[in-house]
Amino acid sequence: MNYPVWDVAFGAGLLIALVAILHVFVSHFAMGGGLFLVLTERKARRNNDSALLNWLKKHTKFFVLVTVVYGAVSGVGIWFTIGLISPMATSNLIHIYVWGWAIEWVFFFVEITAALLYLYGWDKLEPQLHEWYGWIYFIAAFASLVVINGIITFMLTPGSWIRNQQFWKGFFNPTYFPSLAFRFAIALALAGIYALITASVQKDAGLKARIVRWSALWIVPSLAVLPALGWWYIRRIPRDVWASARGPMPTGTDYAELAAVLLAVTFALALLTLVKPRKMHLAFSLLVALVALGAMGSFEFVREAIRKPYVIQNYLYANSLYSAQIPGDAGFSADEVTAAGILQSAKWINDRNLTRDNQVTVGREVFRVECQSCHTADSYRGIKRYLTLRQWDQAKIQAMLGGLEFMHNGVMPPFAGTDSERGALASYLTTIQPISASAAVAATDGKTVFEQNCGMCHQVNAGNSLFKSLPKDPVAAGEALKDLTTLFPLMPDLKLSDQQRASLVQWVNTQRSAMGTRTATQGGN
Amino acid sequence: MMQPNLIPAMDPNPLPAPYWVFKLLLIVTFFLHIVAMNFMLGGGVLALTARLRSKKQTNGNRVFFDVARKLPVLLPATITLGIAPLLFVQVLYGQYFYTSSIIVAWPWFLVLVLLTVAYYGFYYASYQSGQYPGKASGVMLSSVILIFLIGFVYSNNLTLSETPSRWGGKYFSNPAGWNLNLSEPTLIPRFLHFMVAAAAMGGLLLVFMALANWKRDTEYARQLLQFGGKAFMYATMAQIVVGIWFLVSLPRDLRMLYMGDNSLATILLLVGVAGGLGAIFLMSDALRKENIRVAAYYVPGMMGVVILSMSVMRDILRDAYLKPYFHPEQFVVKTQWAVFPLFLALFVAGVALWFVMLWRYGMFGRAKMVEKPPASGS
Repeated sequence: MNYPVWDVAFGAGLLIALVAILHVFVSHFAMGGGLFLVLTERKARRNNDSALLNWLKKHTKFFVLVTVVYGAVSGVGIWFTIGLISPMATSNLIHIYVWGWAIEWVFFFVEITAALLYLYGWDKLEPQLHEWYGWIYFIAAFASLVVINGIITFMLTPGSWIRNQQFWKGFFNPTYFPSLAFRFAIALALAGIYALITASVQKDAGLKARIVRWSALWIVPSLAVLPALGWWYIRRIPRDVWASARGPMPTGTDYAELAAVLLAVTFALALLTLVKPRKMHLAFSLLVALVALGAMGSFEFVREAIRKPYVIQNYLYANSLYSAQIPGDAGFSADEVTAAGILQSAKWINDRNLTRDNQVTVGREVFRVECQSCHTADSYRGIKRYLTLRQWDQAKIQAMLGGLEFMHNGVMPPFAGTDSERGALASYLTTIQPISASAAVAATDGKTVFEQNCGMCHQVNAGNSLFKSLPKDPVAAGEALKDLTTLFPLMPDLKLSDQQRASLVQWVNTQRSAMGTRTATQGGN
Repeated sequence: MMQPNLIPAMDPNPLPAPYWVFKLLLIVTFFLHIVAMNFMLGGGVLALTARLRSKKQTNGNRVFFDVARKLPVLLPATITLGIAPLLFVQVLYGQYFYTSSIIVAWPWFLVLVLLTVAYYGFYYASYQSGQYPGKASGVMLSSVILIFLIGFVYSNNLTLSETPSRWGGKYFSNPAGWNLNLSEPTLIPRFLHFMVAAAAMGGLLLVFMALANWKRDTEYARQLLQFGGKAFMYATMAQIVVGIWFLVSLPRDLRMLYMGDNSLATILLLVGVAGGLGAIFLMSDALRKENIRVAAYYVPGMMGVVILSMSVMRDILRDAYLKPYFHPEQFVVKTQWAVFPLFLALFVAGVALWFVMLWRYGMFGRAKMVEKPPASGS
């Protein structure tokens, strides 16, 4: 709203995810791989293993081509991309942490220099001096993580910074140390995983086997401690934030499961390399890397997903509105925008006069400034998919937009804007997914009624207010559902037909008995 | 029409150090970035020129390879030194910089792709060996063209960031970010001003290489000196024409800043022009007498002053463009004393360590005369 929104047809969020995941997969290698280089060099020299040393020279070239080139450019790339997609968050992070970024830049400068001298110094320097450059490289790379980790974790768990705005309070926030340890373990594992790639193309089978075993020593223990570190990490995340990854929020939950599965697969594949280390094939090493990339990408997705609706937890929503009014927010907190209206608050609106005739075009603009930082019409996180599933007409969309902050465990910020702007947005959304003729006859089986009308906020479990509080007696329950706002003032004012209400109540009661049975069984065990 | 309401509001966080600290860091790091960029791009251009002339002139291919091997170092130097001004420009001018970047989002994003491809191209060319470059020169040419394109996108974005009156029209006609700033009258001269500077500084890179070879291979070193020195002279002459074009293309009130209205800007312009002309004469004299000392010390020294004054002039120009909107006195400053000194300490330590790394590598020992090695470690 304060900044223009870059309209990326396939989804701005997808673009940022692509850039970021490919970057972290390389940048973690850049750090762990640095330690790998020096320790392997030392090992090779101690054992007088000239074959290993020769391989390491080639591996250094590979390392530099991957990390110094792609790693560095994609790191700048993240910066470019977040500036384009989340300028408000970027601007805040720059102003809060500019000295952190500047310190990281010093380390980065040292790091790049040391990497190049290490590469070019292979045939030129005394072994001891050569290793010295390797150590400087690794220490500088680790120091970059020490800095950047403070800023990334700040976004998820800003801790007491929200109250006191002190640099170090935000920096050494609750998840700082678990994240540092977690990422360091990933970096060590990646050092081994990338080494498998250059090892696999070695003709000398004995050498290949030595490298594979040595790499496994980096991968297997690091991956083995990862679940424990992950558990520590999770424990330091506020319970309600982590809850998103445990069911209520599809993205967070799916990726959390995927991350665990892919981590296990990577672990198993790494062990498999030890079965026939002399014959490990390039394709196999690439498979290991690909699965590891999937695991790591999933982890980053979870971290980003559970942070929603915020980009900086408890401070700035993903759609660039401050979650509470703060001095200097220039009117860009959710409450202020609701009071003043989007069309009055937002700077980058073309048509500020909402009339009866321009509902859809203005609604499209409201969508752009308020929703498009995460959603698209029918691509990545496309609204079309949700609406196809739910079959809401315009009135229902408008009603539901009033309770966005309750959906999927509060993964979305509240709609900020006036009622008429909400109406305009609803008219636009209706054009994305016109209700099909067959669905015009509203669904009447209980499960569908639940999924289309209740499921985005209410989870199917005994503790949920719907299952806990709705009267068991079908007649009383049907009566209660007639006016939802009297049940709870923040409920949308949905009008279900008699038949829909009856089948919903019946379905809810069936679920309740199933839950009861389950509880009983569990109790019995 | 002006749409001042389009300019984004600042975020609520205060500046974590006084305004002038960031301004100083911005100008100094921009200067370093642009010097590295000039060596890299100019080096690439002259390597290709040497390759083209290799049929008529001996050693053309050797020059090509010698420069090509330096580019995988000069490009990361450019990138690394570019990160700092990218950071500091966001601290002070974020509202303008983010907005213009979003308006030209796709070209801006594609910079990353072009840069990656160009970078690998440089590595490819540097790893070729033998007498003839073969495919390496084609690859190098592609990389150099990509770097030119990147420079062009930068010129588009940064001129747009200084002219908020154009924002609304461009954004609302294409919010998908497929825009450039082609209607800006200063765009082409400004872009050329940077590119021609690169050719001139590329000449100085060859002069430095001549210095490094002066005792070992005098014949080759002389060739490098003549080739680099001439390239420097011709490019700098061309630069005076481009510079005048740039000055003339500026809106009148901004142009007048350099012609009396702002005494600092006027002095800097005079320093720049006099320094450039002086450098041409010095170089011409040095080439006639084959005086490597003058060519490799005095001329680069003068050019350092010229580029620094140009960097300050550029900053004055930006603030003049943004005068209606940008009011530095409105920044709320709350210096982060808990961390700012740490940055300073680490910065000093980092620079010291950097020199120690180069020194232990033998960068200063090998050619004792080299004051500022062109192909330093980063």
